[in-house]
Amino acid sequence: MKRIFIDPAKCDGCKNCSLACMESHRQDGGRGLYTLDLTDPVNQSRNRIISDGMGGYRPIFCRHCDSPDCANTCMSGALEKNLETGLVTYDKDKCAACFMCVMNCRYGVPAVSPDRTRIIKCDFCAHLEEGPACVRACPKKAIEVREV
Amino acid sequence: MNSCTDCLSRNTCQSADKPMENYIRQLPRETAHHRVEGQSTKCGFGLQGVCCRLCANGPCRITPDAPRGICGANADTIVARNFLRAVAAGSGCYIHVVENTARQLKNTGLYKDKIRSEKALNHLAELLDVTGADKYDLCVKVADKVLSDLYRPEYEPMELVEKLAYKPRVQRWKELGIMPGGAKGEVFNNIVKTSTNLSSDPVEMLTSCLRLGISTGLYGLQLTNLLNDVVLGDPVIRSAPVGMNVIDPDYINILITGHQHSLFTSIQDRLLEEDVVEKAKAAGAKGFKLVGCTCVGQDLQLRGAHYTEIFDGHAGNNYISEAVLSCGAIDAVLSEFNCTLPGIEPVCDELKIKQICLDVVAKKANADYIPFNYETRQADGDRIIDEIIAAYKERRGNVPLNLFPEHGNKNTLTGVSEGSLKEFLGGSWKPLIDLIAAGKIKGLAGVVGCSSVAYGHDTLTAELAKELISRDILVLTAGCSSGGLENIGLMTPEAAELAGPNLKAVCKQLGIPPVLNFGPCLAIGRLEIVATEIATEMGVDLPQLPLVLSAAQWLEEQALADGAFGLALGLPLHLGVPPFITGSKLVAKVLTEDMVELTGGRVIIDNDGKSAADTLEAIIEEKRKALKI
Repeated sequence: MKRIFIDPAKCDGCKNCSLACMESHRQDGGRGLYTLDLTDPVNQSRNRIISDGMGGYRPIFCRHCDSPDCANTCMSGALEKNLETGLVTYDKDKCAACFMCVMNCRYGVPAVSPDRTRIIKCDFCAHLEEGPACVRACPKKAIEVREV
Repeated sequence: MNSCTDCLSRNTCQSADKPMENYIRQLPRETAHHRVEGQSTKCGFGLQGVCCRLCANGPCRITPDAPRGICGANADTIVARNFLRAVAAGSGCYIHVVENTARQLKNTGLYKDKIRSEKALNHLAELLDVTGADKYDLCVKVADKVLSDLYRPEYEPMELVEKLAYKPRVQRWKELGIMPGGAKGEVFNNIVKTSTNLSSDPVEMLTSCLRLGISTGLYGLQLTNLLNDVVLGDPVIRSAPVGMNVIDPDYINILITGHQHSLFTSIQDRLLEEDVVEKAKAAGAKGFKLVGCTCVGQDLQLRGAHYTEIFDGHAGNNYISEAVLSCGAIDAVLSEFNCTLPGIEPVCDELKIKQICLDVVAKKANADYIPFNYETRQADGDRIIDEIIAAYKERRGNVPLNLFPEHGNKNTLTGVSEGSLKEFLGGSWKPLIDLIAAGKIKGLAGVVGCSSVAYGHDTLTAELAKELISRDILVLTAGCSSGGLENIGLMTPEAAELAGPNLKAVCKQLGIPPVLNFGPCLAIGRLEIVATEIATEMGVDLPQLPLVLSAAQWLEEQALADGAFGLALGLPLHLGVPPFITGSKLVAKVLTEDMVELTGGRVIIDNDGKSAADTLEAIIEEKRKALKI
């Protein structure tokens, strides 16, 4: 099982991880950071960087928790903990858009989609063989994928 | 810097010049080609131009959750402001160059110094409508005419614009309200515009870019060439060696870098005088040689017919300067402007190469600064020469040689200018126009501007140039693109084999390569003269010509100012990577689409040589059709 590990001390708040996430999940068919629409809410990132209030940063990433608040409170079964891969997966076809997950995640990771029909949450870049785009984009190696 | 090579990255970037790529990969020290990998993670906000650090509230970056900076500036304002700032800085660079060049001409007149081309002087005097008592007085009057325009306030239109530019263009510029005021004032005013909480109007800022483009192009580019022709001599078409093979270790070798050729003239002449040659001989060398690098080397190569004794040839563009210095046989770097990379400093330190800088705007941290001063140029020149001899004595024998005599070629065609090319064609553009009309040459492409390495050293430039010539499009180069393309042989007559059948036949008949080398980036101004004269003879405006521009590997702010000139001229301009503008839909649309309605020009962004050539070829075909040829 793989997880993203975070070392906040190394984070400079450059948001390359957020842009990589947006690029990885863009739906407009384009490719490359130059043409990614940074003003379109549809492209919002699944991770975010917040200030720790002391001059440092807190990268907020989905932890695919062992006991995930989001899946535990999901009434439709759209969010599930996959015991084999360890990932918390999301099936938008099953989603009732009740947003219990948004309200319950203690890290504030799941977000409401702009059209309010679904949620936006880390999928560990399941479509990319090389793994999560955010990790590869971090110039400080503040986030990394580890086997657990 | 040490000789431990194990910890160096072996992953150097690709180069269009494969022998050079291998040479660099095996160097025992770091170069820009090695540093590409470590800088490969780019900031997406920077790439799109939506990072603003104009105030202490910033840096602000545009995201879907934060579509405005703290001050309220949106992506359009932030992008346009950053872009105008870059264009203004680039313009400032070229205006600095033309200012110094005009001052050199003025001093040449005042001190009754050597004038290498009276023909060029008379041509310029006629163009600017200046008369003088004698040739020296004429130099002073011509220079004053240029300088007084540069020093006008921004609200006063420059007088020479109408004399230098093509009439139909001037007409259009007047309609658009983009006739430039004093060139220095324009830079100043536009920098003000882009400061914190001043202009927020992206469209006004983009039209200001065009105004800066005009002053940059007509003064910084076109006039710099014409002024230099007087002092340095007219370009003469000839065959010359290029690449690292030009370096002869038996001489004291001085690498020159920069853009202000006229600052070297006195020292260049002095290096050939008997007493100085004797000093070199006493130190164990045969004499002195200048080795060209960056645009000043390209300019010296262009006029090389007048300097065969002192000038060994052009080694290459800015991004091989670290490699050239690594050959061990260069004893000093004499620099006066960009593109003198900071990366040469540790190389110079390690190899005991003396660095001397003549212009404070390009002061290198480790260089001695000996400001160029016309009054004391002889004494300063002698001091520089003594320092270089001292460096030669200290380093030769103690620093290993790593020569690369196989690099480059011996028969690159050089010396091409608006004057020499026209002369070559028999004193008229008609033969070229006839070839274009008959379809033997489908069109013209100016492949200009810089060399960059982040996505490969000259790789896109070379790929595009090869694609264009294979489609019977004659390529004209100016800038570091020339340095890259000449070293890979595209400017040798044998390169005709790579051209399409029609262009190949023309090249073979005339004994010319399919890529013609106009020299430094300043010579973009010469290309503009060629275009204007052809358009005049055909009785059309510039946007109607089957002529396209590409700054495929544009590198710096100066290139953006050149690009703005190209757009003001109404020409299609291809760029390999966007100039940090894609974060604004409005700015991107104005530059890539709406510009056609304004000036006739437009920006085309494409990082693939083949598809870029497809687009440029289609534009040329379209223009041919409209001209009914």
